Amino acid sequence: MKHSIRRLALVFAVSLGLSPAARAADDVVTVGACQPITGRFAFAGVAINAGLQDYLNYANEKGLVPGKKFNYVYEDSGYDTDRAVACFKQIMAKHSPVIMYGESTGLGKAIAPELNSRYKVLYASASFSSELADPKSHPFSFISGPTYSDMFSVLLEYIARNKGATRPKVAFFYSDTEFGKDPIPYARKRAAELGIDVVAEIVTKAGAVDVTSEVLQLKKTNPDYVIFQGYIFSPIIEVIRATKDFGLKTRFMGTFWSMDKGIIDKLGQDADGYMGVMPYAYYYEDGAPGIAAMQAYNKKAHPDVKYQPNSYIQGWFTGMVYVEAVKRVVAAGKPVTGENLAAVLDTIKDWDTGGVTGKVTFVNHKAGVGRVYKANAAKGVFEPASDWIYAK
Amino acid sequence: MSEGLVHLLQLLVSGVVTGGIYALVAMGFVVVYKATRVINFATGEFMMLGAFFAWTAMSAVQAPFLVALLAAVAASALLGMATERLVLRPLLGQRTISIIMVTIGLAAIFKGLAQIAWSGDYRSFPAIFPRAPIELGPILIPSRQFYPFLIALLAIVLVGLGFRFTRTGVAMRATADDQMAAFGMGIDIRLIFSLSWSLAAMTAAVAGIVVGIIGGISPQLGAIGLRTFPVVILGGLDSIGGALVGGVIIGVLENLAGGYIDPMLEGTSVKEVVPFVVLVLTLMVRPYGLFGTREVERL
Amino acid sequence: MLIGNYKETYASDEALFRTPATRAWMGVAAAAAVLFPFVAGDYLLYLANLVAVLALGALGLNILIGFTGQISLGHAAFMGVGAYGTAVLASRFGLPFWISIPAGGALATGAGMVVGAPSLRIKGLYLAIATLSAQVIFEWVFTNWTSVTGGIRGLNVAPASIAGFRLDTDERMYFLILSVTVVHFLLASNLRRSRWGRAFVAVRDRDVAAEIVGVNLFRTKILAFMVSSYYAGIAGGLWVYFTKVVTPENFQLSLSIQFLAIVIVGGLGSIKGTVYGTIFMTLVPEMLKAGTGVARAFWPDAQSYLFPLRDVVFGLLIVVFLIFEPHGLAEIWNRIKRFFSLWPFKK
Repeated sequence: MKHSIRRLALVFAVSLGLSPAARAADDVVTVGACQPITGRFAFAGVAINAGLQDYLNYANEKGLVPGKKFNYVYEDSGYDTDRAVACFKQIMAKHSPVIMYGESTGLGKAIAPELNSRYKVLYASASFSSELADPKSHPFSFISGPTYSDMFSVLLEYIARNKGATRPKVAFFYSDTEFGKDPIPYARKRAAELGIDVVAEIVTKAGAVDVTSEVLQLKKTNPDYVIFQGYIFSPIIEVIRATKDFGLKTRFMGTFWSMDKGIIDKLGQDADGYMGVMPYAYYYEDGAPGIAAMQAYNKKAHPDVKYQPNSYIQGWFTGMVYVEAVKRVVAAGKPVTGENLAAVLDTIKDWDTGGVTGKVTFVNHKAGVGRVYKANAAKGVFEPASDWIYAK
Repeated sequence: MSEGLVHLLQLLVSGVVTGGIYALVAMGFVVVYKATRVINFATGEFMMLGAFFAWTAMSAVQAPFLVALLAAVAASALLGMATERLVLRPLLGQRTISIIMVTIGLAAIFKGLAQIAWSGDYRSFPAIFPRAPIELGPILIPSRQFYPFLIALLAIVLVGLGFRFTRTGVAMRATADDQMAAFGMGIDIRLIFSLSWSLAAMTAAVAGIVVGIIGGISPQLGAIGLRTFPVVILGGLDSIGGALVGGVIIGVLENLAGGYIDPMLEGTSVKEVVPFVVLVLTLMVRPYGLFGTREVERL
Repeated sequence: MLIGNYKETYASDEALFRTPATRAWMGVAAAAAVLFPFVAGDYLLYLANLVAVLALGALGLNILIGFTGQISLGHAAFMGVGAYGTAVLASRFGLPFWISIPAGGALATGAGMVVGAPSLRIKGLYLAIATLSAQVIFEWVFTNWTSVTGGIRGLNVAPASIAGFRLDTDERMYFLILSVTVVHFLLASNLRRSRWGRAFVAVRDRDVAAEIVGVNLFRTKILAFMVSSYYAGIAGGLWVYFTKVVTPENFQLSLSIQFLAIVIVGGLGSIKGTVYGTIFMTLVPEMLKAGTGVARAFWPDAQSYLFPLRDVVFGLLIVVFLIFEPHGLAEIWNRIKRFFSLWPFKK
């Protein structure tokens, strides 16, 4: 009898001691990230990190989720899968976050078995590869935007809608990396469905010095459009210039990573007419309250910064999804765990993001929406050339 | 002219132009090997630093291109000399694997320092040359390749002639041939080593600027160094003329592979692997390349 | 000071652990290794597994370069062959790990035979460049032979299992990796004191003289390549079950260079040196990370310099070791031991 009372007292005391601490922990939602701040992807990693961090701070400032504050911890993983896995494990061990952000598809694949069985946190990454948009094998992962396949679908739809009398001819120009090859099988299928002929598939190493043989292939097949995938600047710039030199009237399109404003700066006059699909609005766009809020926050927090690149908006939007998920789980009265967060994703339908992107509906753990933009070389910006298109 | 013939000629001409640029990169290896019997695996990184030096001169101080080029070359010369003094001199006479590794270590150091100093962002040179392509009948050469090709050719010819006809050049060749004999003839071996590394760094700087004009500058620029091994081996490790010939051959082969084989393949490209297959074949059949000197093993 | 340690039989003279002290220390190390996963955290355990696999691979390279004096810049490619071999057999044919890993090793051995063939005709620098080409070509094959290797996506592998017991945590894999690595290290030590080991060293020191004495140069060199790539292949197979996914990006030139660095920093030709080198080259980046983590308090940007600093430190270590201590950590350790065993005498 005495024994059990003593034990009960002990338990009571311990739980009293623990509960304030536990409650304090409950108020904080920790978001961990392994960002490629250095290495090949540094230009993107720094911006994504800034965007994500800024939005979480913004959410804290505005109190977007009542009773919860977000705590963001990040480490540099250098776009190296081994280091990224080590980084992931270390952050999990040290901070026990409920949400994680990763640098690449490689990390997502490597960590998937343990993510599903042990860690169980909501996970998004910088890559738009379709491999991770599979709720059956990756129930905790989502893509904060369309997959590369979706992006191709948007572009091909645009081509199909704007075709003339003849069947449009398209060439795929991609790099021999995961990044480059990911959407191609789907793109071939979709093109056939839409009645578009894929007249050439050109594969190069990223950053090739000489693209003449590739451009000659374009000259031979004379496609109406060329879609780039898997590059950022080089060799897109060389290819566009060389193709114009040869007098071809081909129009060029790109997907997310090759749609940064920087490419207009580098191409100069040759950028006119370059198009592509962007899942998000650009930082300089007017008429979108979500973007205006972003600009206002930046004016306060980073007064020297005049322009934030696409990857910043990617990070910002991912933050929006994280916060929205937490908000919905809290509103449903459930504890904030990875499983609940992942489950709530599918309830996000027609979510208004204030113009940062179209109205978001998560299907298969991705938000397959994007807009076609066209470069205006004179003004040095991309302008919208279509409305928000939803990929099938 | 039939379209097929035009296609072929275009591929050949572009191959020659690209090959000239490869040859310039290869020359960085050859110059060092010719004088010191060392393969400098950090040649790519010397190139990258040279390109960054020139870019910094142009963007920070608004220097005109030629001035920036010369400044970069001068800075690289000093870098080469310092490298030789601090890193290579203590390892004189050590086994090959050590020397290879020390240059690899150097490459890592340079790459890391460049990332710290200039960050990983991709930069490009401002427009230096006229935009219009060069036309030879139906054949086109983009201006961004043609002018750098001219620079490369000039550099190669200058260095080749220098080795042939100047006293220092002869001294370098003598040192490469037989260090003891050269020393006995009164040649200051240590000075020759310093000069060789300076020269190698200078040619690498020019090569780096050329590659930077074509493809942009980033700490990853040095990766092209190792891809030029096929040129170096095919031409012969210690032959500058060989580098030129080897470069042209590899450039043409790459373009032919890209122009005729790649269109038949779906989803892959053999363009980058063909030079290495050629490299392996060269090593099996004629290891000293087309113009390299045979090494006779002395017991 | 070791006085009076004389041997009465050839066997005891050639023994691997010659003094009672050494044997005692080995026992302690073994006990520590077995207890390690129960006291170490997740992260350390992951690192330990990585170190063990890398050490195994590096040992193979040490046999080739340190024992036999051949240069190879393509070691990562052999590890890749072993890894892919194991992965294909496991994922496509469902073979268990105790068949697929040795099979991967055998495949790698075959690759080693092919790549080593030129060593008959070319030496030194040229051989190094030939192995470099092999690395590039293998990388291309891994990426483009999609039907077998899964191309750029790579292959996923189910965790190893014995009769239903799944080795799907780092802890369980630790024991598998540790046992395989230890066995292979003992094998290497054995190789060293065997006839073939002596042939290797003879080829390294003066191959012309070795030939005169009756060592078949070609066979010895090929054997060295085969053993070396076998080790790499086994390491690759273990690695596949450890990370459960294999992609071409894991076996690039940078990994070959890392192996070279480990072998040189550890000490060419020294088996202990391989272990020291692997641990050292893995620990240094960790210490750097801790350092920049501390520096972050004073200098918020410190984090972004971590990876370039890693490159710089990596390169500096190689350069400094080559200039000041070409025999690597093994030699440094020997010097420390000698200092203590000779004290108070200096020499």
